[in-house]
Amino acid sequence: MNPDSFRLRAARPDDIDAFVRIAGASATGITTLPEDRAQLADRLNRSTQAGASSDEPSGEEIHLFVVEHDGRIVGTSGIAASAGFADRFYSFRNEMVVQSSPVLAASNRIHTLHLCHDLTGHTLLTSFYIDPEYEATLAPQLLSRARLLFIAEFAERFSDRIASESPGLADDNGRCPFWDAVGRRFFAMDYPQVERLAGGRHKRFIAELMPQAPIYVPLLPNEAQWAIGQLHPVAELPFSILEDEGFDSETYVDIFDGGPTVDARVAMLKSVKASRAAQVVAAASAAPGNGPSSWHIVANTRRDHFAAVLRHAERGTTDLALGDATCQALAVEPGDRLRVVALEGSAA
Amino acid sequence: MNPVIWRVRDADSADLATISHWLRREALPATAPGEAVLVAARADDPAAHAQVTLRLVPRIGLVLPRVSFHVGCTVHAAPELALFHRQRTLQLGHDHTGCAELADIARAPRLDDRSATDALLALAHAALDRRVARSGDFGTDLVAELPGLRDADGSAPFWQGLGRHFYAGDIAAAAAEHGPGWRSHVAALLPRQTVSTAFLPEATQAAIGAVHPGARWQWAALTEIGLRDSHHVNVEDGGPVLEMPLPAPESAPSAG
Repeated sequence: MNPDSFRLRAARPDDIDAFVRIAGASATGITTLPEDRAQLADRLNRSTQAGASSDEPSGEEIHLFVVEHDGRIVGTSGIAASAGFADRFYSFRNEMVVQSSPVLAASNRIHTLHLCHDLTGHTLLTSFYIDPEYEATLAPQLLSRARLLFIAEFAERFSDRIASESPGLADDNGRCPFWDAVGRRFFAMDYPQVERLAGGRHKRFIAELMPQAPIYVPLLPNEAQWAIGQLHPVAELPFSILEDEGFDSETYVDIFDGGPTVDARVAMLKSVKASRAAQVVAAASAAPGNGPSSWHIVANTRRDHFAAVLRHAERGTTDLALGDATCQALAVEPGDRLRVVALEGSAA
Repeated sequence: MNPVIWRVRDADSADLATISHWLRREALPATAPGEAVLVAARADDPAAHAQVTLRLVPRIGLVLPRVSFHVGCTVHAAPELALFHRQRTLQLGHDHTGCAELADIARAPRLDDRSATDALLALAHAALDRRVARSGDFGTDLVAELPGLRDADGSAPFWQGLGRHFYAGDIAAAAAEHGPGWRSHVAALLPRQTVSTAFLPEATQAAIGAVHPGARWQWAALTEIGLRDSHHVNVEDGGPVLEMPLPAPESAPSAG
């Protein structure tokens, strides 16, 4: 598949059917998309409003994106402006406690999990999904990284810190070893039931019912210990992109399934640091470049109609000659501002 | 059958040798002001052989910290989720620092439970009288630890489910080397933060505050003098720590 056949754009309310399909296709806990048409429609409306609004951001904004291939939606991604908006965002923080008894000539190093609100207010990456047949293409790169360009472009509307939850280990029946060893001891509920509750307003209730004291990991069954910070296999691709961007995966885990919650400073992310402003020039007036070229994410700088594509471009250039089709895909014309970043490892 | 009359006296060096045998460790003579090792012998035994013993300690934990787990409770309630969940918790602490203690309680192996209880009762009353005579040396509360549950092989389910994860060493060897104070040393390795008992195996939870069946004779005598469950347990086997306030000296009955 030719990378230049993919187009990322802001999601619209009429994308609802694609979102319903994708929410239904993902296993328990895999995306943050609810399996409820009305809720999805609400999110699409909120996303459109957030893109168009000229109001000062409140932190409640969400932004949803889709990637299209030949006009068909094959993936989604999203941003929540402020994790836990107007409430607390709960995580477990990994900590090590070292204790010693000189008289017994013994010491230990104990892994503990601390319920915390550290990530409250961080911008959150959400809703990643790519159809399986597109996993090996550059579409997931466009889907995940273009939203970082969006954040970089509209930095004043987001936190300078960013996080993303990834699903932890659970089987096809929704059995989750971490939940069974931790949360289930405090609520006699299966993980899928809790997932449904946690998607709504009950997340805070559930978190507040967890033990407030640190959890001593050695007291958990081995299967649950092993699940801490482990990814669900379906999340390996989006997780690997975030790791490559420079997200840290060592500090936080999800309070329900133990999956890793990665975090970073926005300014330190690879695509943010390497992105640069550029402008559209007419294809006919562009001087042919002689430098090395590679695939780039080329994004417009319109919050209301954000769009990004993959194009081959000379590294470091600030003038991008775009054909009519590309200008149309990005809704730009010569002279318009762009934000671009090279995809590393994609040199032609 | 006439009830046995018990005579209480201070242990002599021969008694200490016998007590060491019962405790399976060396019994040291009393040294601190007010401290006493007492033995009870049958009044009709011409040789006055010790049958039951206890050590009266005026204040504990002032040299080597005395640790125990406080057994607490937290309630997780959410009416919105129709949830009401009561959880027991364990919190390591030194809550009995400065208390007086009835320690090293032991008996002759062949003595029956009923007689042992009666003898211990006589010893406990004698100990309380000693305290009245020297009240300034004693703490204001009295405690006594009871042995907790053990498997046939001597291992404690409480330790297996909790302490073992924090100290992997041989606890029998640690106890042999450091005496009962080994628990103070191992406490440096135990969890400092509250532990929800929901994370512990069932056998460990069942051992919290449970008295070893072989120590019920002690429980009978100690509760008879007024000691009650203090919601604290021993860090090794989860056996209960009993506690009672000691009456103020001026209101205490005369030692006669």
